[in-house]
Amino acid sequence: MKGKGKFLTLFALLVYFFLIIPLIIITGAAFGTDEFLKFPPRGFSLKWLANIFKVEMFVRTFKISLEIAVLGTVLALLVGIPAAYGLSRYDFVGKNFLQGFFLSPVLVPGIVFGFSLLNFLVIKYEMPVYTSLLVGHTVIIMPYIIRVISSSLENFDYSIEEAAISLGASKLKTFFVIVLPNIASGVIAAFILAFINSFNNVPVSIFLTGPGISTLPIQMMSYVEYYFDPTIAALSVVLMAMTIILMFIIEKTLGLSYFTK
Amino acid sequence: MALLSLKDISVAYGKNVVLKNLNLDVEKGELVSLLGPSGCGKTTTLRLIGGFVEAKNGRFVFNGKDYTKIPVHKRNFGFVFQNYALFPHLTVFDNVAFGLKQRNIPKNEIKKRVMEILETVGLKDYADRSPRELSGGQKQRVALARALVIQPDLLLLDEPLSNLDAKLRVKMRLEIRKIQQEYNITAIYVTHDQEECFSISDRVAVMNNGVIEQLDTPQKIYNLPRTEFVANFVGFENFIELELEAKKIDGGFYKLKNSQRFKVTHFNGREDERYVKGAIRPEEIDILNEGGEKETNTLKGIIGISTFLGKHYQYVVETEVGRLLVNGSAHKRYVKGERVTLYFPEDKIVLV
Amino acid sequence: MKKNVYVYLLLLPGLIILLLFLAVPLFSTVFRTFQGDEGLTLTKYIAFFKDSYDRGVYIRTLKLALLTTLIAVILGFPTSYYISRVSRRVRGLYIIFAVFPLLTSPVVRSFSWMVILGKNGIINSTLLKLNLIEEPLRLLYNEFSIVIGLVYLFLPLMIMSLVGVMENIDEDLIEAAESLGATRREVFARVIFPLSIPGLIVGSVLVFTGSITAYTTPQLLGGSNTTVLATLIYQNAMSLFDWDSASVVATIMILTTVFVTFLINKLSSRLNA
Repeated sequence: MKGKGKFLTLFALLVYFFLIIPLIIITGAAFGTDEFLKFPPRGFSLKWLANIFKVEMFVRTFKISLEIAVLGTVLALLVGIPAAYGLSRYDFVGKNFLQGFFLSPVLVPGIVFGFSLLNFLVIKYEMPVYTSLLVGHTVIIMPYIIRVISSSLENFDYSIEEAAISLGASKLKTFFVIVLPNIASGVIAAFILAFINSFNNVPVSIFLTGPGISTLPIQMMSYVEYYFDPTIAALSVVLMAMTIILMFIIEKTLGLSYFTK
Repeated sequence: MALLSLKDISVAYGKNVVLKNLNLDVEKGELVSLLGPSGCGKTTTLRLIGGFVEAKNGRFVFNGKDYTKIPVHKRNFGFVFQNYALFPHLTVFDNVAFGLKQRNIPKNEIKKRVMEILETVGLKDYADRSPRELSGGQKQRVALARALVIQPDLLLLDEPLSNLDAKLRVKMRLEIRKIQQEYNITAIYVTHDQEECFSISDRVAVMNNGVIEQLDTPQKIYNLPRTEFVANFVGFENFIELELEAKKIDGGFYKLKNSQRFKVTHFNGREDERYVKGAIRPEEIDILNEGGEKETNTLKGIIGISTFLGKHYQYVVETEVGRLLVNGSAHKRYVKGERVTLYFPEDKIVLV
Repeated sequence: MKKNVYVYLLLLPGLIILLLFLAVPLFSTVFRTFQGDEGLTLTKYIAFFKDSYDRGVYIRTLKLALLTTLIAVILGFPTSYYISRVSRRVRGLYIIFAVFPLLTSPVVRSFSWMVILGKNGIINSTLLKLNLIEEPLRLLYNEFSIVIGLVYLFLPLMIMSLVGVMENIDEDLIEAAESLGATRREVFARVIFPLSIPGLIVGSVLVFTGSITAYTTPQLLGGSNTTVLATLIYQNAMSLFDWDSASVVATIMILTTVFVTFLINKLSSRLNA
């Protein structure tokens, strides 16, 4: 291999040290015995991990985050798959504009979008906070669905679909029996990516909290403002473990090289 | 003394040995081709000379100096890549000027030399184009101009024509040869195309499994291959095992497995070997009609499968010494099962 | 591709959701900022930029975003070049370790720097133990910690954008330049850098706009006198219940990101011409 000197190798390793070490520190801090966050930790205990489940707000907001992420992703898939199919299969007036429109939520600053939802839906039209939170998340994850499904449809050979129709299958049936199974891994990957983005979201959710309604990241943020014990570190470890599992699924379905495209 | 010599060069990627104690001498002004099937080590040899591949052992001497450890950018060799490797962000002019700028040549001199070489390759009017706007043949010319303009001590070409269509290939190889002779540049040319290789080269090195099997003029390679591999590679498809019986001034007498006798005119340097193989092309074997038997150099056989190749029919003929490929006239077709006698002209058999 | 009117039916449900819950709410936010007692007016914007506190927040936001982008380029460029030139398998490994932080919650990622930079954090406790300092340094809740947090947040994005472009630079081009006499440094300056510009543009736009709009990191790692646009929107809306001001800041944020994206793209097309 040419073009990589010792200096460059060292530089890259240092940068990666910078990227990884904070996450390692947080993991270490989660298993200490001290009352305060410390690294390197003294002793080894699982009490902070257990403590997560004692903080009632964490358990409840975890459930809400999970609910919102799953429901929002399912909703976005339901409207996103037909849209992605229409956008990549057909040619029509305004196609480029609509393609851009479907991807536009990713360009809108989350904090602005969250504020607008609060302003417009919750205050002006008195929509329940939970519903607003759900539609807000549905909107922000739409671009991920459209992009991933579109890219797996790009690799789909539409002559297979035509073959099915020529053999007497209806268009709708063809979609479910022929198209969908062939883009299944794309759908799974889209689901995971959308799920992660919804689950981790802060700027939209921060405005859409109400009595008894909040998401886990928001709850974590307000927790660290008042407490500085290793419970948050332990919770971080749980979330990272979840990320690793989801990443594994993405690698198996979409391939992680997707992120460099 | 040779301008370039590779001495006992070995190259290995891990356990995979690509070149084994390879030796090669190239004289000044020569165009030498490296010919062989894919994976034979020809490209590795070229890249080693270019400085892109390091030798595990052995030495590379150029113009009396040891070049083994000289880095690529100090070698002053022009390299023409298979996929052209034009810089996509630079115009044709800047692509060609790239090497001159590295050499701190004054601007007006650069301009003069670039335009001169572009004129030579017939692309004077394309100086301001981007490589994207060029056809394959034009890209090839730019790549050639870029390698020539630095007045290289050696020109290295890695299958430069393999991405062009057949007609353009013939045209470009004539041009490359013309320019190479005009500028009197020593060149090494890698290809897997025999015709291209024979038409362009002063000498050809046929490579197989990381060694050079034969280094000779195209005529010698084609007519007098020295090894079974080379013979096979240039179209000798029949090999008959022979045992020496007697040496005469005008050739040798050999015994076949079935005790038939063959006379062979040229020893091809193997007059002292008792066991040899006689190689012969399918089109050099004659099919004789019943009754046309001769004393020596014949074999009886039975016609098997036949295929029509346009100019002639090709037959698989079963004989007592094995299966042979024989070409026959397109006017007459022998049928399967027919008994024939094959005649092997004594001056068409090459000993390997 | 086929022409088909029914395609609009496929798009309709998605369109309705995006119109109703994205376009209309955003429009209403933006529209109210131009509404005055007598028709449309810019008074609220004039007031924003006249106010030295608000102006300070705006300038700070731009400054921190610019600093973050610069550092991300400086750290990301050589790293990405290295990644793009190693073998496919090793590259996969590097990509995994860049994607992992990217998919980890920003709360977790910002929090990890609180552990490192805090009063009892690793840096302070180490320095104290070595007797290099007598009192803990104030490393947290200032602009310094925000920039570190933002670089940490967005560096993987920069690396991904750059690697995506750099891994497509043909090895032959590098060899061609070398064979024409270019040293390693010249190959970098005259071939690799110019060909990496598209990735640099994409990465810079992502990091810069991301830094301007980031909320979590400045909220957790910043202090009371390091307010940025995102935290200002939140304060105006949720602490002061000043919807108009929050809307003005939100609109300014949108306009700034659009303008910056436009500017960087313009700059790049001029660079390429």
